[in-house]
Amino acid sequence: MVVVDFEFKKKIMDVHIKDTLKYCYQCNRCTDVCPVNDVTGSRYSPRPLILNSFLGLHDAIFGLESSFNIWGCTACDTCDEVCPQKIELTEVFYILKNMSLAKGEGPDYFIGQASAIFDYGKAIPSQPAIERRRQQFGLPPVQSPSTDDVQKLLKLTKLNKLIKKE
Amino acid sequence: MTQANEFKFFPGCFIGNRIPFIEASARKVFEKLGVEISDAPFACCPDPVGQASTDHLSWLTMGAYNLTIAEAEGKDIMSICNGCFQTLKLVNHELKHNDHAKAKINKILGEIGKEFKGNISVRHFVEVLYDIGEDKIKEHIVKDLSSLKVACHTGCHYMRPSEKVQTDDPMKPIKLRALVKAAGATVVDYDTEVLCCGAGTEHAEPGPAMAILAQKYKSAVDAGAECFITNCPQCFQQFDSKLRDLEKHTGIKYTIPVLYITELMALAYGFDPADLGIKFHRARVTALLEKHGLKQT
Repeated sequence: MVVVDFEFKKKIMDVHIKDTLKYCYQCNRCTDVCPVNDVTGSRYSPRPLILNSFLGLHDAIFGLESSFNIWGCTACDTCDEVCPQKIELTEVFYILKNMSLAKGEGPDYFIGQASAIFDYGKAIPSQPAIERRRQQFGLPPVQSPSTDDVQKLLKLTKLNKLIKKE
Repeated sequence: MTQANEFKFFPGCFIGNRIPFIEASARKVFEKLGVEISDAPFACCPDPVGQASTDHLSWLTMGAYNLTIAEAEGKDIMSICNGCFQTLKLVNHELKHNDHAKAKINKILGEIGKEFKGNISVRHFVEVLYDIGEDKIKEHIVKDLSSLKVACHTGCHYMRPSEKVQTDDPMKPIKLRALVKAAGATVVDYDTEVLCCGAGTEHAEPGPAMAILAQKYKSAVDAGAECFITNCPQCFQQFDSKLRDLEKHTGIKYTIPVLYITELMALAYGFDPADLGIKFHRARVTALLEKHGLKQT
């Protein structure tokens, strides 16, 4: 049975500031230009993802055997460029990805990267070997932010809960 | 005394802490062309593919945190990374145009004594170099690279979403091509020039990323390109480190390497490949350099 999740639908429409999602007439140009759709036989396809998001069909998007239907998106923003209704599709897909991780779905990589940012203030922390190489090239040392400040901010955004840090 | 036209330099974690030889070439080129930069203790931009996918509020907050560091000095940011550029440009845009988001972020930043004001701009280095103009770029050339045929790859986050980033034509970019031509190399036309490198989908599944990359290699090699030229470290890494995976995926052994646009310019300006750390590339560049009279000392 198809169930409309109004809470989910509201969240999607709320975050999508310009509220353009409702003007989608399913012309399929997004899917036509999507490089991932092209090489996966539509295992990832933006058009149905937009339709299901707009209709609030939560269970058609989340909790599937594979989360590739969401995470296949390579964030290239090509669909945004061709949409005749100027829907910012990639923005919608980011929200779906945020929701997917909050449900404990999606690739582990993203939680790992967020943990590095939380711990070091950098997605890729400094390493002694690279610092030595920088010196060889006459480069100044990489400056780092205050990790106290970074952690304070990321606790206020509650990122620490998502990545299970104190 | 700092210059008013000086940029706060944003190399990003990927270049700074993983492939710093790219930063070396960029600094050399900026110095030649009089582009003044200064460093700052920036945090991760954060990554538009990673952190924006993880948590939008944290992405906005950290992006705004970095913007306030440049705002405090009243200087624009210039990044040599597509990802950092896109994040900072989009965060700046969102907070300048959405008072609700700005108030929310400033409440968070206020806890560490910072405030986003929205009074600086974010630039991509390709735009900055393009604005310097062909004539000035050509002035410093000492090596003739006209025999070198290259495939330009700007990467997605340099030019899209175009309404917000406003750098170039989002489906037919001209500025990287103009820089390559100014540096004296020959640009080939190939039909997948604006295709994504595939890196963004790799963490979901590596196969589709390889299939996308294979389309790029096929079309660039068919067009006669001897190397890729890019302005994005993530794309650079796809080209530089995936040749073996690509062979497994396609059965074809591609050998063409990749150069960052600042490496190409630095080579044309006569810098020694050894000083540019070209040997740290994983896709070997030596044969290409020798062929075009740029042998390492």
